[in-house]
Order: sequence, then C-alpha cells, then structure tokens
Amino acid sequence: MTVPTTAPGFVSELLLGAGVLVAVASSVAALLVRSPYDRLHFLTPVTSLAGPLVGASLAIENGWGTTTGQILFVVLLLAVTGPVLGAATGRLARRSTEPDPGRSR
Amino acid sequence: MTSWLIGAVVLMVGGLGPALWLGSRGEPVHRLVGLELGSSVTVLILLLLSQVAGQSQFLVVPLVLALLSFAGTLVFTRLLAPRR
Repeated sequence: MTVPTTAPGFVSELLLGAGVLVAVASSVAALLVRSPYDRLHFLTPVTSLAGPLVGASLAIENGWGTTTGQILFVVLLLAVTGPVLGAATGRLARRSTEPDPGRSR
Repeated sequence: MTSWLIGAVVLMVGGLGPALWLGSRGEPVHRLVGLELGSSVTVLILLLLSQVAGQSQFLVVPLVLALLSFAGTLVFTRLLAPRR
C-alpha cells in the first residue's frame, strides 16, 4: 500500500476511507435491525453520503476531466435515485402490512 | 496493493456480504431492500475497480448498473405490490 505524500493525496484517501466506512457501517446496521422501514433508513447513507464521498475521493485523485465528469455523474445518479427507490419501497412495505379494506366488511 | 483496491475489497466483504444476506432471506420487501443495498454498494465497488484498472471506459459499467437497478427496483415494487 502506498502512503500519500501530497495534501490532495491525503485528502483523497481520507474521503475514500470515510466513504467505505459509512457504506460498511450502514450495511451491517441494516442487517442488525428487523423492520423494513429501519432497513430503508440505513440504505440512505450509502447512496447519499458514501457515494459522494467516494466520488469526491476519485475526483480529487483524477483531477478535472471527462473521467471525473463520468464519476460525478454516476454518483449524482445514485444520490438522486436512492431516495426515489426508498420512497417506493416504503410505500410497498406499507401496502404489504396494512390490512385489506375489502376483506374487513 | 493500492488503497482503491483495499477499499473495493472492504466494500465487497463488509458491504456486499450483508446485502447478499439481506437479499436472500425473509419477506419479499426485506429482500428488495437487500437488493437495493447490494446495487448501491456494487456501483461504488465498480467505480473503485475502474480506478484500480486505470481504464476510464470501464466507468460505463457502474453507470449502466445505476440506471438499470433504478428501473429494475421500480418494476419490483410494482410486481410485489399486493393485488386487491
């Protein structure tokens, strides 16, 4: 493993470590809770926090260019679609657990 | 071994492992959450692996995965909804 000697290299590694830590902690926490709503809460940091942290780390390492543009686009896509999927899954979980109104009569 | 590769391996073990476990057990909604988690973590892993390989054209793979997992998960939410 190479040790970063420049300030941007150090910041890049720091952001990468933070992003990986957030993703791993969220995944393990999602495994520990039982409710689907709680699990959805632990899904959010992966898309909204770990993704941008890893993307920023890669962007600092690569500098400005088309590669960084592609990376930031993927990370932005992940951050935008994550909450939409969380809302859709939460709605599905509610519909799956609430009683059928047609059968109560 | 670069820090990018270490990050990818740590994500595979600590992020993808729990996601696969969640996605293979329990109710359908719980499995769907595991699928979403696995897709998100896999996108990050592929970003890091493209950096390890040093090939920027590999970035198409996480881009396509992010798009397809979004559409696929929305389809799953429709298919898993109870019919009334």
